[in-house]
Amino acid sequence: MAEAQTLESGESAAPSGYADTRTIGGPILSVENIVVKFGGVTAINDVSFDVREGEIRAIIGPNGAGKSSMLNVLNGFYKPRSGKINFAGQSFPAMDPYFAASNGIARTFQNIALFRGMSTLDNLMTGRMLKMKRNFFWQCLYFGPAQKEELENRAHVERVIDFLEIAALRRTPVGRLPYGLQKRVELGRALAMDPKILLLDEPMAGMNVEEKEDMSRFIIDVNEEFGTTVILIEHDMGVVMDLSDRVVVLDYGSKIADGTPDEVRANQDVIDAYLGVSHD
Amino acid sequence: MAYEYPDPSVYDTLPKLLRFNAERHPTEVALREKDYGVWTEFTWADYQERVRNLALAMHEAGLRKGDVFAIIGDNNVDWICAELAAQSVGAMTIGFYRDVLEDEIAYLAGYSQAKMAYAEDQEQVDKFLALGDRADSIEKIIYSDQRGMRKFDDPRIVSFNDLVTRGAEIHAKSPELYDQLVDAVTGEDVAILCTTSGTTSNPKLAELPHGNFVRHTQLYLKHDPKDSTDEYVSVLPMPWIMEQVYTLGFGLNSRMKVSFPENEETAMQDMREIGPTFLLLAPRVLEQIAADMRARVMDAGPLTQWIFEKGVALGTEAVEQGSRSWLADTMLFGALRDRLGFSNVRSAATGGAAMGPETFKLFLAMGVPLKQLYGQTELLGAYTLQDGKEIDVDTVGVPFEGCEVKIIDADTDGVGEIVTRHPNMFRGFYKNAEATKADMKDGWMHTGDAGFFDDKGRLTVIDRVKDIAQTRTGTKFSPQYIENKLKFSPYIGEAVILGAGQDYLTAIICVRFSIVSKWAEKARIPFTSYTNLSDRPEIYELIRGEIAHVNESLPETQKIRKFLLLYKELDADDGELTRTRKVRRSVIAERYGPIIEALYGDGDRAEMNSEVTFEDGRKGNIQASMKIMEVDGAAAPALKKAG
Repeated sequence: MAEAQTLESGESAAPSGYADTRTIGGPILSVENIVVKFGGVTAINDVSFDVREGEIRAIIGPNGAGKSSMLNVLNGFYKPRSGKINFAGQSFPAMDPYFAASNGIARTFQNIALFRGMSTLDNLMTGRMLKMKRNFFWQCLYFGPAQKEELENRAHVERVIDFLEIAALRRTPVGRLPYGLQKRVELGRALAMDPKILLLDEPMAGMNVEEKEDMSRFIIDVNEEFGTTVILIEHDMGVVMDLSDRVVVLDYGSKIADGTPDEVRANQDVIDAYLGVSHD
Repeated sequence: MAYEYPDPSVYDTLPKLLRFNAERHPTEVALREKDYGVWTEFTWADYQERVRNLALAMHEAGLRKGDVFAIIGDNNVDWICAELAAQSVGAMTIGFYRDVLEDEIAYLAGYSQAKMAYAEDQEQVDKFLALGDRADSIEKIIYSDQRGMRKFDDPRIVSFNDLVTRGAEIHAKSPELYDQLVDAVTGEDVAILCTTSGTTSNPKLAELPHGNFVRHTQLYLKHDPKDSTDEYVSVLPMPWIMEQVYTLGFGLNSRMKVSFPENEETAMQDMREIGPTFLLLAPRVLEQIAADMRARVMDAGPLTQWIFEKGVALGTEAVEQGSRSWLADTMLFGALRDRLGFSNVRSAATGGAAMGPETFKLFLAMGVPLKQLYGQTELLGAYTLQDGKEIDVDTVGVPFEGCEVKIIDADTDGVGEIVTRHPNMFRGFYKNAEATKADMKDGWMHTGDAGFFDDKGRLTVIDRVKDIAQTRTGTKFSPQYIENKLKFSPYIGEAVILGAGQDYLTAIICVRFSIVSKWAEKARIPFTSYTNLSDRPEIYELIRGEIAHVNESLPETQKIRKFLLLYKELDADDGELTRTRKVRRSVIAERYGPIIEALYGDGDRAEMNSEVTFEDGRKGNIQASMKIMEVDGAAAPALKKAG
């Protein structure tokens, strides 16, 4: 397959007057032969795949397949037993969380991990912490450089607020928001980091159809407007097949398929993993 | 205050007024818009420059005098700049309500042969693109929100900012061009093609000439003066005649500052930040505010509840005696005003439908000097206004100076159709002489509303003439009048009264979900959804009590005998309400035929199989079965009537 490809209009059933203007680049992140074990349990067994710049890459699989573990390897929460991760022109045996964050990998969690007592705005501002360079002294003084920095970061956060259409929630404590909106705020915090790669762990779990549609729209917009690479874990097959460019399928910790949604859908191993096979 | 408004014989078009203000008050703030959480200010010079540049670029792109320019989007600075820019070159503008579906746009854009359009964002641009052949007259679509626009490759799409930049270049080359364009337009030329609300059929386009618009808004300003210290927040739908009168008419004539909220959901918060001195709120919005207030008080502690009840009682009592209670003001209303952003309100208007006396008095007690007004799109909005000297829930006041209003075909009570003429009324319906002829007879506009004058010369509007119905036994009744009485109950959101040609009256009721769901929670009644809640026997009993209460004030022959709670809320998207939320009776009669039949049958259930339209235009089917209940027995045990 070519190093870079442009998805031309007319490839899918897009109506006339529209064009997919995204540019999918070369691999921006890849893992090779990753193994993760918890005691005697092998969570991930010899998995390799790559993620291209600008694409939406889905990781799917039945419960316990190792999807979230894979995401945790990618942003450095878990240290693999063996294998390597290639990112930002370097190769690591394990990712360092701080390195991942400061080099543009942001994530959201399966169970919402926001500061519930803080307002939407403050939660989003925490996403900018890494970009704030002024020390405690300057922050206390407030005026001057710290204020300038605060304003720059606030402006960025305001763009995210506008993008996610949560202006009305700016001052609302996050704990008071309904679940679907909390998920959106969490996405907002990740976006506030200005990420190159966005890791989304089941962004649509527990949502109703309308909330799912909204969230799908936002994910597509993030990908198209900012060119952000998205790595997505999702259970809703309809969503995965509609959103993603390529899908990697895990089952019992091993990779059983990797390809476009259509290829994956037709793969016999995937069908077996999801529907089950008789073992007699 | 005697503020001199610009002379309407010289400054007879809206762009001329804008130029006038920009020359005399260049650094004074004209507009504000909240973006990214910050209020951005536009001076009169900024305002003029934006309009000028845009107009020059539109002119270059081929927009000419007499063309039609369509506008759709949220209320904001770009909306009115696009409108004024199009009017600067002599084009006529049509505003679309932002939630209209493609079909309505297709009809209006096709019928008016709109040449260019301003569509704020991707969602709205999509609507025009989806029209395809149905709107082939459109040569340019101007957007201002960049988001999601990358994937369009239609050559007709241009960005607002690019046009403004281009306009600045044109202005640098030929600095007199804009003035020439503006001077070529006169007060006789049509400024706005204003859609009429169309309770009955496809909307029509009323031609409103520049001069008429300027003169009529000045006449209105005589009755409710404004100046540059006034603040107004633009939250009503922009295409609506009254919002046009306030944002453009008042804004350009009196230099009242106009602020645009960030979006619909933040409007109340933004309004509070601005503290407007003038507002117009539709009766249903006021009812909604009052209902929300009650819902919150129901959640509050006993002390707060007590203060609320006492404050409201004291305040209303004082208002009824023509004064205000300082105690209620200190205890309750000062805080409420602040909370709602009404602290600086000097003048407030309402109109378009009747409102409950309790709600009306509540706002008066709060210190919001509500005045009812009455008017039509064809007559450039309001032409009657209360003087505010006494509490007057029923009338809409006396006509403006020079506006002639009379009642024709009056019956023995003096009730008949309201007809009006004034020198500044509309010129006719655009490309629809037939409709013009039907509504205008000998220079009088037949409003189709039934009403009467009281002995003080104040007009009272009852209902649409054709909606005044008759039962089989010959009793005349106004469904809307009874519906409004029902809707004064906090638990009833919408009501449809039936009974024309039948033996007795019945009602289809939609509960007010925000309040009833709270009530149900308090009463520990489990429910899952609107439909499920509406089906609960406890809720039926609650509403039955409310209807019985209303029945007490109705003559024997007009009492409601049976009712049912509809499984869904009436919705403008389903065509059941107009965009201004008036009930479309013909649609209801057609769609809910089986229900209506059941209401007049012997059974105690109504079955329904109906089609719903989702927001994205898809359709689905819903089957429902509803109980029918008779309204006999006692009224609700002295419900706490707040306000």
